[in-house]
Amino acid sequence: MKWRATFVAATAAILATGALAACSSSSGSSGSSGGKVTLTFQSLAFQKPTIAAVQKIVTDWNAAHPNIQVKYNQGSWDSVHDQLVTQFQGGTAPDIIHDEAADISGFAQQGYLADISKYLPADVRSSVPDGVWNTVSQGGKIYAVPTLLQSYVVMANTDLLKKDNIAVPQGTLSWDQLQAMAKQATTGGAYGLGWGLKSPTATVMSLSLNFGGKFFTGAGQDAKVQVGDAEKQVPERIHAMAYVDKSIDPATLTQSGTDVLPSFYAGKLAMVVEGNYAAQQITEEAPKTFNWTVLPPLTGTSSDQAADPQTLSVSQSSKHQKEAGEFLAYFMQANNLAAVGQGDWLIPTSKQARDAIQQQTGGKSGWTQTLAGADSQVAAPFQSAVNYPRWKDEIATPALQQYLQNKTSIDALATKLQSGWDNVNR
Amino acid sequence: MTAATGRPVRVRAEPRRTVRDARRLRSPGVRAGQYVVLALYLIFLAFPLVWLLSVSFKGPQELASIAPRLIPHHWEWRNYSDAFSQQGLLRSALNSTIVAAGSTVLTIVVATPTAYALARFRTRLRGAATAWILVSQLFPVILIVIPLFMILRDLHLLNSLGGLVLVYLVWTLPFALWMLRGYIAAVPPDLEQAAAVDGAGRLRILVSVVLPLLRPGLVATAMFAFISAWNEFFFALVLLRGDQTTLPLNLARFVGSEGQVSLGPLAAASVLATLPSLAVFAFLQRRLASGLLSGAVKG
Repeated sequence: MKWRATFVAATAAILATGALAACSSSSGSSGSSGGKVTLTFQSLAFQKPTIAAVQKIVTDWNAAHPNIQVKYNQGSWDSVHDQLVTQFQGGTAPDIIHDEAADISGFAQQGYLADISKYLPADVRSSVPDGVWNTVSQGGKIYAVPTLLQSYVVMANTDLLKKDNIAVPQGTLSWDQLQAMAKQATTGGAYGLGWGLKSPTATVMSLSLNFGGKFFTGAGQDAKVQVGDAEKQVPERIHAMAYVDKSIDPATLTQSGTDVLPSFYAGKLAMVVEGNYAAQQITEEAPKTFNWTVLPPLTGTSSDQAADPQTLSVSQSSKHQKEAGEFLAYFMQANNLAAVGQGDWLIPTSKQARDAIQQQTGGKSGWTQTLAGADSQVAAPFQSAVNYPRWKDEIATPALQQYLQNKTSIDALATKLQSGWDNVNR
Repeated sequence: MTAATGRPVRVRAEPRRTVRDARRLRSPGVRAGQYVVLALYLIFLAFPLVWLLSVSFKGPQELASIAPRLIPHHWEWRNYSDAFSQQGLLRSALNSTIVAAGSTVLTIVVATPTAYALARFRTRLRGAATAWILVSQLFPVILIVIPLFMILRDLHLLNSLGGLVLVYLVWTLPFALWMLRGYIAAVPPDLEQAAAVDGAGRLRILVSVVLPLLRPGLVATAMFAFISAWNEFFFALVLLRGDQTTLPLNLARFVGSEGQVSLGPLAAASVLATLPSLAVFAFLQRRLASGLLSGAVKG
């Protein structure tokens, strides 16, 4: 009968699905059979050359260490936080975790990351400055190796600068110089500067260190927000450039950094302020006739910027922490880190890796200026303030956006930031 | 019929559409207007797909240009080869197909008898069950994901497609039950009573009388279940590990940090991801329409 045939077919389909699913389900996580250790490594590498560089590191390691095999898994930056939250709760996090310093501080506080200070050889410890180690340490314990840094740099369209008779600065670039150059370059249908400040908080907090503006005093639970003259420098300067000099394209203030680039390529912006990794995009996307360079690091009273390095950590629930630590040390070797840094166009934390990149690229495409920014990366107070992410999303970002849209005054901004912190911590 | 006076009274017939009305509806002006509206609507619906195809054939320079064009200047096939060479796109497409097909079949098999019971059997449980279905729709995913994770871990179904099928079954069941219940309620019970009078048992009634009339409802529910499972991202992200992925997870890898997107390969992969859904819909759509109209004209 027809219905019997349908019934049988449906049952068969279910059984087939079950069988297929059972065949596809994988076995458990890091296993060890007869001394052989398998580590799972979730990497968030995204650019093609970076993925190739990381996979080469894994392949070379696996060839040299037949008893410690590393399995490479691809993750994605957008979803890594949610993924890790659940996996840590359930105890199924990968052995080696790729993330960034700002994200892992919460995980470290909750005890999900292993203390790897005893697994790191002395040469790895000494190759990275202490200021950067501070971003991945808590209470004297080290919870990750910092691998790659980014900094905010000014990139310029050299043809437009030449047309406006503006000399490309060498050595240093002060904020006053930037303001003057932007004003001079705002002619002929182009704006002097484009700045994608849709998410302004990270940029302002980091660049305020140029003037010693720390925003946070005290530490941990006692941290308080204080907005004084030093902290007001960066917002006020941007505001002046946008609304007094009219040298910043107002449309870019509401765009993300990546969205500003097409206007840059089209010659509508003489300069843009971007994370230095944008150089990778520019190299790939810009028209062949586009000539550009990276200007020297921005300097106020110093060139300091907040360090938020990418990190590699070991999960506390991993059964092979020592072997994972050894892989991290291997990853940090100069040539390996240099290859990954070049792929992502980011600054390696270790001096030896930076020298390797300088040598391999000859400093072209702005690498010299980019690498120079590494010496001024310091840990910033806001990174250790509990509740900073909440304050950033609920208070700081809306308040800064309003100020940059010229809807409030600088004093109103300062009040909002300070009182908002008290609200968040009530 | 005659009145008391004996004169025949003309009974007023129902107002009928005159031939003139019918001709007016078919007049060329109205027809043209209808086609124009239809064409505009079609453009509105289809444009995103056309744009997706266009982006998938553009190189990075053209995608970053400030003046967008519908027809690419240089046709780039590289995006498709890049998308394929990206790890495991085909494998994740296969996984997505298995999971979507499995959960669709299971949803239909489980939901049909349940919806029949909800629609036909009058018990006190019916009100409670209906309320329970509605209440379950109120919960945001984020509330239940960690307990769900723990349950699956204890069942050793983590990082397996079978576990994911189970989760999708439970996830789509409330809405599927709701849909099917409505469709079953629309089938007149008289037909079942007539079949019972002829000597059919309950199962025979379900299969021979109700199921054929339910075909459009089943198809609609199957489409909904398939699309839900095919597009679902969050559960797949949390319950699968990196070595097993479904298509939405794989597509997410084209988006990097700080808003950088490989637009070309992402568009190419998205086109490839859309094809199976289009195929399923093309196949089922005929059955949906034919089922709807059957029985419309009596006698």
